[in-house]
Amino acid sequence: MTVSDPRIDPRIDPKGAREDEQITTDPSKPVERMRSGSMTLSLAPWVIAAVVLAFLPLVFTNNSALTIMNQMSITIVFALAYNMLLGQGGMLSFGHAVYAGVGGFAAMHIMNMSDFFSTIPLVVLPVFAGLFGMGLALIVGSFSTRSAGTVFAMISLGVGELIAASSVIIVAFFGGEEGISGDRTYAQPFFGVEFLQQIEVYYLTAAWVVIAAALMYLWSRTPVGRMANAVRDNPERAEFLGYSARWVRYYSFVASGFFAGVSGGLFAINYEILTEENLNTASSGVILLVTFLGGVGFFFGPIIGAIAFTLLQTVLSLSTELWAFYAGVLFVATVMFFPGGLAGLIMMHVPVFKLGKAGTLIKPYLYTLLPAALGLAGLAALVEMTFHYRHAIPGDNEMTVFWMTFDTHTLLPWLIAIAVTAIGLGIAKVTASDLRDAWSAANTAGGKS
Amino acid sequence: MSTPALELTGLKKSFGKAEIIRGINLSIGKAERHAIIGPNGAGKSTLFNLITARFAPTAGTVKLHGEDLAGLEPYQINRKGLSRSFQITNIFPAMSVFENVRCALLWSQGYKYSFWHLVNRKHDLTDEAEKILDQINLLGRRNLPAGTLSYAEQRALEIGITIAGGADVIMLDEPTAGMSNTETDYITDLILKVTAGKTLIMVEHDMSVVFGLADRISVLVYGEIIATGKPEEVRANARVQEAYLGAALEAEH
Repeated sequence: MTVSDPRIDPRIDPKGAREDEQITTDPSKPVERMRSGSMTLSLAPWVIAAVVLAFLPLVFTNNSALTIMNQMSITIVFALAYNMLLGQGGMLSFGHAVYAGVGGFAAMHIMNMSDFFSTIPLVVLPVFAGLFGMGLALIVGSFSTRSAGTVFAMISLGVGELIAASSVIIVAFFGGEEGISGDRTYAQPFFGVEFLQQIEVYYLTAAWVVIAAALMYLWSRTPVGRMANAVRDNPERAEFLGYSARWVRYYSFVASGFFAGVSGGLFAINYEILTEENLNTASSGVILLVTFLGGVGFFFGPIIGAIAFTLLQTVLSLSTELWAFYAGVLFVATVMFFPGGLAGLIMMHVPVFKLGKAGTLIKPYLYTLLPAALGLAGLAALVEMTFHYRHAIPGDNEMTVFWMTFDTHTLLPWLIAIAVTAIGLGIAKVTASDLRDAWSAANTAGGKS
Repeated sequence: MSTPALELTGLKKSFGKAEIIRGINLSIGKAERHAIIGPNGAGKSTLFNLITARFAPTAGTVKLHGEDLAGLEPYQINRKGLSRSFQITNIFPAMSVFENVRCALLWSQGYKYSFWHLVNRKHDLTDEAEKILDQINLLGRRNLPAGTLSYAEQRALEIGITIAGGADVIMLDEPTAGMSNTETDYITDLILKVTAGKTLIMVEHDMSVVFGLADRISVLVYGEIIATGKPEEVRANARVQEAYLGAALEAEH
């Protein structure tokens, strides 16, 4: 836990390079640097992302991998939309799932309007979903964005609960408990593609991730996007610059509603069913968790968060029933120790790389992180064993943790797990001070690298 | 005589039973540099907040270029050409210095709530922001987060933000509060430079700044203006001497 100094807020860390403009203290040529060749550079991440997305299915060929990647893509769009509020606009929403959900439900209904649906290609369906999400945001935002902070959070929670509760009341739209299902293949074929196969859906979703992410990024570079940051930091000052804080928030909110709706539309295409689960507070909570885990201070944070969380959710849930517990622990640890999230952790290392001292950190990292990982594995084993001891069917004393099978009703496995935990964390605690020294040395200019 | 830049008539403000501002009449002409001085708790900042609609007045009117500001929101008043700074530094600390100034330019340059322009592509914005950074001598700090600047630099940045929108009435609330002598001189020169030709209204405690900058001075004591006039007139005014200035001037030397 020593790699991060929690007091360093990545947003005001001078070396955090929060903006796309690089840090330079050279006053002589600010204008030139600003203008020259930044287009090609700033396009690079997008091209790389698109290429990676295009080739991923060649690496992960089976259907379950495609399912996971689709889910990732949908979560990425949703998390980025959510961060338009949380990270960029300073609005903490506890009910953002309803915009994705309503967009998704609208998409399902369009799928079921076979006359109309057969005249549009499936690829544009997310636009319709987005418009419905935006429509709801237009209405709710008109009163919820009057202020940020607690008032906004409470209204978002209330509206979220209200709409989730109405899913069993307004059955015609939300389909009650069984939800609404449809068939995406009734759409007009898109260049002959009918989206019968998972791989076709993957490419549709992947294309939408790139488009939606690019549009959201561009949004953050527009006057209203810049002022969203200003209003987040200091609404009063923004008012004395001629901007109504409330209107700035409203525009962000509506745009976020649109992209949330797009993610709902992608969900509808991928799963062909929407239920109350797409609207409820749990889903709203998950997207908050995903976004925060990834890091709200950077545009790409939610993308990392969505990837990491989906992996936890899908891969980890295959091996343990307690995956949500670990996700919760990770979230709490993030809030407490790395408020910048995973993106913050990554960006913390930028100055080290710029100073050319990244190499000096490898050894200290290994010495601390390996034992720490071992200790945490031991801890996880203890948690799993306790869970098994308490909840397994009587007589079923055997369990398998980390590919080792043993009897939880004997003492030895417990002693081993406790020993591994204690030794691992103990070594990590001892080597942590070395890592701390190495870290501060690596962040100081000069000296031998 | 032309319309005054700012005209206050019978302005009053009470918080509950406490009368903080007790009827102020003040007229400030175009391109005048006007300082408001007075002891602590006299209501100087409250007066500022009344003019800029941070608080609603209990009675009386505020007119900017002859236009009544009653019922307007701060951002609407700002769009009419009145800009202010704050007693406590009020910038966007997480954003870069350049970004701070650029945000201050957006509205006046006509970008409004645009989401179809990309700010980095707008060279007029970049040029103008850098011109202002040059004026306030912060060009070298361009890309640092504003929150990491020194106190005096943050105050300079705030002045930059305040003037960036091109407002012709500038209100500065204690621009030199908490500064060393050299810093004070620096900020005073800066204010003179950037407010040339504009109407300046400032609250200030430092008498050397006040007498160095102001064309006219108003003395505010217990919510009332007891004297208004040229610096030398105010200095000679017996009531002012008694109420405030004598003690303040003694404290200076």
